[in-house]
Amino acid sequence: MANPMHQFQVHKIGPKIEISGIDLSFTNASLFMLFSGITITLILFLGTREKKLIPGKMQLMSEMLYNFISKMISDTAGKKAKPYFPFIFSLFIFILACNMIGMLPYSFTVTSHIIVTLTFALFIFVGVTILGFITHGFKYLKIFVPSGVPLVLLPIISVIEIISYLSRPVSLSVRLFANMMAGHTMLKVFGGFVVSLGLIGGWLPLSFSVALTGLEILVAFLQAYVFAILTCIYLNDALNLHH
Amino acid sequence: MSDLEDLKTRLKIAKSKLKNKQSENSTKKGIFLGNAFKLGTELVAAVGVGTIIGFILDNWFGTKPLLIIIFFLFGSVAGILNVFRAAKKMQNDRN
Repeated sequence: MANPMHQFQVHKIGPKIEISGIDLSFTNASLFMLFSGITITLILFLGTREKKLIPGKMQLMSEMLYNFISKMISDTAGKKAKPYFPFIFSLFIFILACNMIGMLPYSFTVTSHIIVTLTFALFIFVGVTILGFITHGFKYLKIFVPSGVPLVLLPIISVIEIISYLSRPVSLSVRLFANMMAGHTMLKVFGGFVVSLGLIGGWLPLSFSVALTGLEILVAFLQAYVFAILTCIYLNDALNLHH
Repeated sequence: MSDLEDLKTRLKIAKSKLKNKQSENSTKKGIFLGNAFKLGTELVAAVGVGTIIGFILDNWFGTKPLLIIIFFLFGSVAGILNVFRAAKKMQNDRN
């Protein structure tokens, strides 16, 4: 049976590029990131090329995407978060494109690697923390000190709050990575069952595979959505202090 | 004839209303599923972070098993707090 983890292997494409001891070679992961970037650019470029009053399919799709993200930001983070729309839009659409391209056969899922998702999450975490300190100064530290706590309990509560704050990038990255990796491994395992059980017994795992593919497409969308909405929530915490 | 036209427009409005409601329901269902995915990792991540902090501090101060145990407990509390907050937020959003 085929190895279900083989699909996650990163391998070099083309020559080895090394700059001051850091391996910067072009890999299949870079290829698929580039591929999703190009796909997004093409879809949005074609969608916004003709600005008709009655939109065509492409224009409708890009307008719906815009509305969806815009509504999500105003619902969760309020008006103050409007300037961060481009960042959240790019984040959402890039993760969505990576997840969806990963669903194509023979492709590589970039988001099934923890280093990719952790980089996203740490970038957001550091950015949001800096933003909080810029907008509120040292008052931002108040989020570690909930109001109405007795002085005796304060050291313990603060430690708990700090751990809770530090766990944000971990939960953000692990959620996306684990969901994508588990889904793709499961698909491959069931696919392997189809081959090894052959014509007689292979129909049952095949039907499972079909159902799982549908579920995985849903998960691919939902995880991108959850990632973006949590970014909005963290942004909201940094912009509007209300602890 | 005008009655018929009137009925036509009213039918159109009612149909569009029904459509809007259905699409709203389906997006809401998706959001609930997203929330369900959120809660599980929220708990585990805080416990992991707490334990790692305990481990690092233990190495610094040389108090091998003590701080890792304390911070594991702190991490668990933080995890439960995270889940509690997320659940509370979901409840507020629904109302």
